[in-house]
Amino acid sequence: MDPALLRYTEEHEWIGEEDSVLVVGITDFAQEQLGDITYVELPEVGRTVAKGETVVMVESVKAASDIRAPAGGTVCATNGALEEQPELINQNAYGTGWFFKLKSANPEELGNLMDADAYRRFLDANED
Amino acid sequence: MRQTPLFEEHCARDGKIVDFHGWALPVQFKGIIEEHLYTRSRVSLFDCSHMGQFILRGAKAIRALESMVFNDMICLRVGRCRYTSILDVCGGIIDDIITMRLSESELFVVTNAMPYAKVSRILHRLCSAENVTDQTAKIDVQGPLSRSVLLQAGLDDIAPLKYFTVCRTQWKGQEIIVSRAGYTGELGYELYVPQELATPIWSELLSYPEVHPAGLGARDTLRIEMGYTLYGQDVDESHTTLEAGMGRFIDWDSEFNAKEFLLMQREMGRYKVRTGIRSATRRAPRTGYEVYCEGKPVGEVTSGCYGPSVGFGIGMAYIPVELSVPGTRLTAGPKEMEIETTAFPFYEHGTFRN
Repeated sequence: MDPALLRYTEEHEWIGEEDSVLVVGITDFAQEQLGDITYVELPEVGRTVAKGETVVMVESVKAASDIRAPAGGTVCATNGALEEQPELINQNAYGTGWFFKLKSANPEELGNLMDADAYRRFLDANED
Repeated sequence: MRQTPLFEEHCARDGKIVDFHGWALPVQFKGIIEEHLYTRSRVSLFDCSHMGQFILRGAKAIRALESMVFNDMICLRVGRCRYTSILDVCGGIIDDIITMRLSESELFVVTNAMPYAKVSRILHRLCSAENVTDQTAKIDVQGPLSRSVLLQAGLDDIAPLKYFTVCRTQWKGQEIIVSRAGYTGELGYELYVPQELATPIWSELLSYPEVHPAGLGARDTLRIEMGYTLYGQDVDESHTTLEAGMGRFIDWDSEFNAKEFLLMQREMGRYKVRTGIRSATRRAPRTGYEVYCEGKPVGEVTSGCYGPSVGFGIGMAYIPVELSVPGTRLTAGPKEMEIETTAFPFYEHGTFRN
């Protein structure tokens, strides 16, 4: 996915459209903060999730954290490769490190999220 | 935060600095897992200058220490190291320490960062110990190639050092102490050097292509894979040395402050003991997770991580003795992950005795 075309949450998830479904992952900033990721628990395909619902659990050598759905919809695919190779998230957060795909009834929801420029400003503003 | 003499070196190598009990230390350089695996196969350097270092002189001082630790110090032979703990009268662990007999009259004591203020007071009052922490840097050289690197660097005297022994030697004319106690499960040496030597030694050792720096993060996952404790996290004054699973180290023929209390605890036999736990997946038990047996809370996880060399989640928890038998199935954490008790160490291919 091209980071310039994605939408972002303040919890450092990204979401973008590809082949008419929504793909979700975490940002490079998030993977950097988490450090080496060691375990990922993915949702079941077919599960309906609401915007803001906890969908994925990620553990790194340092911490465990919950990943929320940036938009509502039905989970139509998950990245099973992460179960054996969670390091893909560290290596390629916007590519092979994606988490799950959503079929959304309401893709306009994404309009409320930050675009790449806004997310960059958000990161700059939150830098210590 | 206090800085070790190697602070500038860590910053120059992009070490990610964290506050460890008031010390500014690198948690990682390239990445925790990479540094962990590197230590298991090659050599890593760890800056452990935050640890306390004391010299006790004379039989009276050594005997005084013996009154507060669970094993014999007077009979410790020159050149030998011994693991022990400074205890309160109820067996609580004030600090777990390595003692080393440097000579007939000198005992070198290495302590942890967390209880430093208290321990330095005790060692000062009880043993008139000389506190050399501020003059000394501690550099741990850990990994299967550590011996060959130190020999290449000209430290010939370390060749005969066996596991848990110590010697005095020289680095370019200046006296240093080298022990072989380790904390990673791999062959390894600890160099205690005058502060001004810290940077020259650190830089020279890193000039060997097989040597990389490593941070506290890898040190933590390496020690957890071995089932070793971290003071302030797995052991402290609220746990006795029996509860901490150190019963096999206790010399019951020795006289010390907590002996009666510990004998009573051993007799009663009902306490929570530090026990190894593992998960069936890569998911890790985490510090503070409650442990459940058939839904009922029975204990707490004190350390846990994904074990990079074993490939599954590992940790340690205080649970009732009767549940600590290897193979007991329990659950842990808010999501009740399945865990199983297991014997230490988790990682069985360490080179520390080679």
